[in-house]
Amino acid sequence: MKKLFFISLITLLVAATAFSAGKKKYGNDLTVKEVTKISEIVANPDKFDGKRVLVQGPIVDVCKTRGCWIKIGSDKEFESVRFKVEDGVIVFPLEIKGQNASAEGIVSVKKYSVEEQIKSGEEHAKKEGTTFDPSSVKGTKVVLQINGEGAQVETK
Amino acid sequence: MSGFKWRRWNIVLHRDIGYFSVALVIIYGVSGLAVNHVADWNPNYVQTKEIVQIDPIISFDKDTIVTLAMVRLQLTEAPQNYFRPDPETAQLFYPGKTYSIDLPTGTVLIEENRPRRVLFEMNQLHLNAPKGIWTYIADLFALSLIFMGVSGLFILKGKNGLKGRGKWFVLIGTALPLLYWIWYQFLQ
Repeated sequence: MKKLFFISLITLLVAATAFSAGKKKYGNDLTVKEVTKISEIVANPDKFDGKRVLVQGPIVDVCKTRGCWIKIGSDKEFESVRFKVEDGVIVFPLEIKGQNASAEGIVSVKKYSVEEQIKSGEEHAKKEGTTFDPSSVKGTKVVLQINGEGAQVETK
Repeated sequence: MSGFKWRRWNIVLHRDIGYFSVALVIIYGVSGLAVNHVADWNPNYVQTKEIVQIDPIISFDKDTIVTLAMVRLQLTEAPQNYFRPDPETAQLFYPGKTYSIDLPTGTVLIEENRPRRVLFEMNQLHLNAPKGIWTYIADLFALSLIFMGVSGLFILKGKNGLKGRGKWFVLIGTALPLLYWIWYQFLQ
């Protein structure tokens, strides 16, 4: 019995090591086959608002506290998109930063008017005990993110 | 049915489920302490930041930037990935390490994240990061804890049993969360 237990344990560890390289799945299976370029979404956010997309790119940042979002680098320089998942439902570990991801979710575009930004900035400053300069707000702010449902990360 | 020795069975089950659950009790307990103080520290990773200075890199070409950065930072392996978040910054990604280079000044921020081994794994299990089958194992463990708590009430008889001093401890233990919640919700 003792021997069997240790043999099973070692087999399990060896198998886990062997299968750890490849792709790691987070959340739901990917269902969209066609990849949408992040640069296309960034260039035409309204066209993609509410649409389900599959994007690919390097993971350039990961939420440090809860693992509840990753930032995926675009096919074009100086662009990235935030892939936000529900807290606790999917948890991205920090070590996937720098690896390549295929991620599926719904594009969400939110627009904030100058008034809304000033109000929120003032509230935030009051809460944090800092100051806020309303003149720093320049026009409508567009916040683009993908509400993530599933991702596959290439593990190396 | 009158011959059924429920107290004996209660002790046997309490003991064996206790043996079975001890590893999980330790995992959930240790991880509970760790994640309870998430505001004060990162329970999963040791995070370090270091700033080093290299000569500025004046180039728009990816290969040139990577090659120069590797030479100046004395990196022997090519990065896993490369990214330009803005025109002045280039990022090189290595396993667990990111180099963010401010190209015009040559200032490099090196960020390293090392998992706190064992504690990281405990936290992943505690917070049910793996999902899937682990969800049901964790459910089973939660039921085991409930069983051990309730069955523990009936292990002893007499002055040290539930009817003796046990009832006072149960009362205090029940009042603690109840009173705290009343204070938290209505009085503070």
